[in-house]
Amino acid sequence: MTMEAKTHSIDISALQRQNQSLRLEDETIALTVRDLELYYGEKRALHGINMDIPQNRVTAFIGPSGCGKSTLLRCFNRMNDLVDSCRIEGQMSLYGNNIYQRGVDVADLRRRVGMVFQKPNPFPKSIYENVAYGLRIQGINKKRIIDETVEWALKSAALWDEVKDRLHESALGMSGGQQQRLVIARTIAVKPEVLLLDEPASALDPISTLKIEELINELKNDFTIVIVTHNMQQAARVSDYTAFMYMGDLIEFGVTDHLFTNPAKKQTEDYITGRYG
Amino acid sequence: MNISVKEWFKSGSPWVWLNAGAVAISIIMVIGLLGLIAVRGLSHFWPADIVEGTYTIDGQSKKVIGEIVETHEVLTEQLIEAGIKIPDDNEFSIRHLLKIGNRDVNGTDFTWALEHYFEDQTRPVMLFTAERREWGNLYGYLRSLKESGKEISHYDGYEQTPEYLAMWDELDKRVERALRIHEDILKIEKQEIGSINYELERLRLKERGLQLKHVEDPAAYDAINQRRKQLDADYEGLQQRLLDLYTEINRDSLTAEVAGGQVVEVQLAKIVRIFRPNAMGIGQKMVHYAKKLWEFVSDEPREANTEGGIFPAIFGTVMMVLLMSLLVTPFGVIAAVYLREYAKQGFITRLIRIAVNNLAGVPSIVYGVFGLGFFVYFLGGNIDDLFFQAAKPAPTFGTPGLMWASLTLALLTVPVVIVATEEGLSRIPRAVREGSLALGATKFETLMKVVLPMASPAMMTGVILAIARAAGEVAPLMLVGVVKLAPSLPLDGNYPFIHLDQKFMHLGFHIYDVGFQSPNVEAARPLVYATALLLVLVIALLNMSAIAIRNHLREKYKALEM
Repeated sequence: MTMEAKTHSIDISALQRQNQSLRLEDETIALTVRDLELYYGEKRALHGINMDIPQNRVTAFIGPSGCGKSTLLRCFNRMNDLVDSCRIEGQMSLYGNNIYQRGVDVADLRRRVGMVFQKPNPFPKSIYENVAYGLRIQGINKKRIIDETVEWALKSAALWDEVKDRLHESALGMSGGQQQRLVIARTIAVKPEVLLLDEPASALDPISTLKIEELINELKNDFTIVIVTHNMQQAARVSDYTAFMYMGDLIEFGVTDHLFTNPAKKQTEDYITGRYG
Repeated sequence: MNISVKEWFKSGSPWVWLNAGAVAISIIMVIGLLGLIAVRGLSHFWPADIVEGTYTIDGQSKKVIGEIVETHEVLTEQLIEAGIKIPDDNEFSIRHLLKIGNRDVNGTDFTWALEHYFEDQTRPVMLFTAERREWGNLYGYLRSLKESGKEISHYDGYEQTPEYLAMWDELDKRVERALRIHEDILKIEKQEIGSINYELERLRLKERGLQLKHVEDPAAYDAINQRRKQLDADYEGLQQRLLDLYTEINRDSLTAEVAGGQVVEVQLAKIVRIFRPNAMGIGQKMVHYAKKLWEFVSDEPREANTEGGIFPAIFGTVMMVLLMSLLVTPFGVIAAVYLREYAKQGFITRLIRIAVNNLAGVPSIVYGVFGLGFFVYFLGGNIDDLFFQAAKPAPTFGTPGLMWASLTLALLTVPVVIVATEEGLSRIPRAVREGSLALGATKFETLMKVVLPMASPAMMTGVILAIARAAGEVAPLMLVGVVKLAPSLPLDGNYPFIHLDQKFMHLGFHIYDVGFQSPNVEAARPLVYATALLLVLVIALLNMSAIAIRNHLREKYKALEM
């Protein structure tokens, strides 16, 4: 285990150095949020959120439990539609197209904006079929294409070497960390533009967490990544930009390095220094 | 050990005792029930010894030959009060129920005999039992064999001699021959003539159909007439062969001396089985027992269902249950999916759920009445009007039958399937549904590809409960399709092979019929137990196969621990 831990450990200081030159003004913006208000029945859960999420970067949402970060994340692929009492006002667009407009194909949106959940949720099918699921949904049936995509996705999720000999065994026999990477492979197999990660490592052990973090670092070359995390060290390690939320408000949003070393707001400082939350 | 009642109560051990006691009582009751029907039912097939004795009562003495079926102890006092003269030195007297057979001679099959008056009991090895197609068993001494009315061998004594054994062997051979011919006759009557009749009936319907459509073209009628002529010719040929076979089978007969010295003649054609139980060893008896048991499960009933087998009833039960499962599963699953997944949850869905749950509690006879009124008379009547005009006025589907029985039971069991499926759907983790939706699957795709397969074990649970309820149901079936004796199975070699409009036999109804509608109560009673045992076995088997399927599905779609 120690061997494995060593090979997969990442140089955090190198990551941080990389971050220093970032400026939001220079980025291509993938997702924009304007005056977003979200209600659960009468209760307002998000208060006028405004933010821009840059392309091919990792953006982290941090904040205490119940601050609305997961709720905001689930707005990006309209997962909140499943909640009956949920109502949304304001605008949210993917490359300039409002995703809450009438007539938007939600299934297509969700294909473009993939999501990985807190707990691994593989389907009770084989490893291969789990990854092929999204492709089959799209009507792709050519075995060659599916084979290639499955292999590519599993390789991208750093899982191929571990499962290539048991692709047709049930996915439920894998460890938690493997299952989570399988879910990531399944999500990227449909080649989304944005990858939403909702506390992807919170149910995993430290070594699996490390692997996931390394994976996120790899994946940002191809995808725009938004990650929700409880773990501030994790946010510091993996993200380029960080948003701090509190009680449904976006308190502060900026380059990670900057936000952690030199927060502009008192609330942010209190939170990251561990005074509450 | 000295602990107070309060402490003992607090420790929880009275609770454990109570639980264990309840479980133990349940198990004892189930085992006791199964044991009772198994013993009573299965002992019937054992070839019991034949007892011969003299029964003297009120100065009158007569010879009695028969099997001892039951033995009771009766209060002597009670017998004296009933006017029977019996010494009162014992508190209890022993009374036997004797199966004396020879219904054609005695008028009854059974008689009661008090042990006290039943003297000189012997078990002569020469006594034989002949199971006949009519009039029940015959008990007696073989006296002679006849071929075409002429005696070919004769024996008068009561001692077993080589001469007698040779005659017995000859009889055995001739009975075998008669049985073979009988099988041929059955085959011709049931299958060959049966299918000719079936085709003739179809031709008649076709012709009638043409007439109703006012088809004038003589060519159409010619084809039918030609085929009919051909079938008639075939029929004539078969009829001739049957006549020959009947002459063949009626060639031999035997004479036997029965209790009381009377000699009766019996045609071998009427004999199903002939054996001498008193001369049989335990091994032979076991072989005989196995054969009788096999006959019971594989043969058709004889003599108003009191003899022979119950195969048509087993077949009818299984077929009806399978058909019911095929109907109820899609129906219940679709309803449950709508209720749980698509319908807006609220007052109306709650109301529907309450209604569905209450439907499960409606007495089954009510469903029978509904089935008769709606399915048979309304639906069936309209189907006949639309599609089977030619057969009228005889109804095709407008009369109770297999399909209506299955549908009625499907209606009866649909609440169970709905409830079980809903339960299963509600247990599918939200995370798995979201995982599918997040990949761009629509709600329908998620349902078909992930949710329903994962809920399939729950659906099977519903089907298992439905089978358990439907297989044991009798009351509604009496109204919508079950009969005492069905002339043919609902599945045969005649196109279209499955005859959903036919009436069928059912084990549950068979129990009722044999037990309570039989002219020969004593003969029928053991069959009631045996049929009940078989019904339990059939239901258990159906359930077990459904459970096996469910376990397989469970293994395949093992839900995540979330």
